[in-house]
Amino acid sequence: MSRKTADAVIVGGGIIGAAVGYHLAKAGFKVTLLEKKFPCAGSTGRCIGGIRAQFSHELTIKVMLLSIKLFQNFKEEVGDDIEWYAGGYLFLAFDEERKRSFLKAIEIQRQCGLDVAFVSADECARIVPGLNTEGLIGGAWCPTDGQANPFKVTFGYLKRMRDLGSKVYTETEVVGININKGRVVSVVTNRGDEFFAPVVLNAAGPWASEVGRMAGVSVPVTPDRHEALVTEAVERCLDPMLVDYRSDGCYFLQHYGTGHIIGCYTPVPLVPGYRLDSSDEFITEMPRRMIRLLPKLSSVKVLRQWAGSYEMSPDGNPICGRTSIEGYFVAAGMSGHGFMFGPAIGKLMAEMITTGKSTIDLSEFRLDRSFTKSEAMR
Amino acid sequence: MGHGNRTKRAVKKSALNSVIVCRCEEISEDEVRQAIKNGYHSPEELKRILRIGMGHCSGRGCMRVVARMIEEIAGIPIAKLQFPKSRPPVKPIKLQLLGQYRYESENS
Repeated sequence: MSRKTADAVIVGGGIIGAAVGYHLAKAGFKVTLLEKKFPCAGSTGRCIGGIRAQFSHELTIKVMLLSIKLFQNFKEEVGDDIEWYAGGYLFLAFDEERKRSFLKAIEIQRQCGLDVAFVSADECARIVPGLNTEGLIGGAWCPTDGQANPFKVTFGYLKRMRDLGSKVYTETEVVGININKGRVVSVVTNRGDEFFAPVVLNAAGPWASEVGRMAGVSVPVTPDRHEALVTEAVERCLDPMLVDYRSDGCYFLQHYGTGHIIGCYTPVPLVPGYRLDSSDEFITEMPRRMIRLLPKLSSVKVLRQWAGSYEMSPDGNPICGRTSIEGYFVAAGMSGHGFMFGPAIGKLMAEMITTGKSTIDLSEFRLDRSFTKSEAMR
Repeated sequence: MGHGNRTKRAVKKSALNSVIVCRCEEISEDEVRQAIKNGYHSPEELKRILRIGMGHCSGRGCMRVVARMIEEIAGIPIAKLQFPKSRPPVKPIKLQLLGQYRYESENS
């Protein structure tokens, strides 16, 4: 067994691990990131790339406002073009109850300084030409929300992290975490290496509860299977992410860089577990839902379908911070929003690890909370 | 939005003086070579950073060439490489056509 040392070991090569790793490396830490397959192999690489500040919790909105700023400045700060595009997010309301829930969230969002409004059905059709407005009451519209390329963001962070002297090991699975007197000591991998570090971060996404168990820490994160599809590239026809929250709704956007339309829906009932095969149900149901909203898409061709895991926490909010084991941190349970939270969580967790305190107080997301404040705009 | 509306784009500059490996996404041999030299030694990673294999043919046209290039440049035998999973539908199908099919249940 080879013994190695680091200032911090990060478990997981998705957006969260990469972003925290980059910010730690920037602060002078020698980081070792361990990824059991390859970067983006888990949830990050399967997400559709939407980025929004339209949430119902003040803290989530503040975190997302920071994240959007970091996405905007990514090229200057980190170096890669991540295809950031502020096309906005349009949440559709087809009944009064949904409208009320949007209005309530908009009030909080506006207090946080977000440029957001409830707009009429006609205005929705102006924002999305060709939108089927049958039964539509209106929509929650924020033009500063947007999209970026999850691969480019994650690989961009990892590249800078390596340039700053940190290490990334792919195809390397963590099989054990050693604790001594309530303090984290080392991480053992399937390759027989042992990495000694005073700081270990669990950024294992849907596998966060397993990686928690290795340290004797209970992390209540469970995977939910979501499916997605991508169409061929077509000329620009859709600017924002279009979100239809009906039980038979869906959400999709047109990728700004390439012209592909990417979307998914939340299955009812939810599908817990790690299964990531493609279903016939999704590939027939999703096109119907997309065409119902935007009939002009009917002759666009589907290239591919796939599945990924939402890493759900009990209340739909992230789990970020310290644990009962000294030096063992967790940043997981992003509940379907890990990619968009990534840059901000990366910066804030790195602050917490290096200085003991983050510039935005994340204590509402701590592991030992009661999990009672559910997110309304999941 | 028929065929006439597909994205019309000029051939990328990087593709002009090089052999094209991925025809769907216009990825040149030079780009693949550079990425492998930059340390991306798996078809899965190359797919994600270059979009190689993400186009109409889903990698049927390019993945074997990519595998040979990895073997040649990085010295990893093709037999040891992991390839991206093939995803349905095998060929591009219109949304309308897929949506006409009524799916009954997992077991029917």
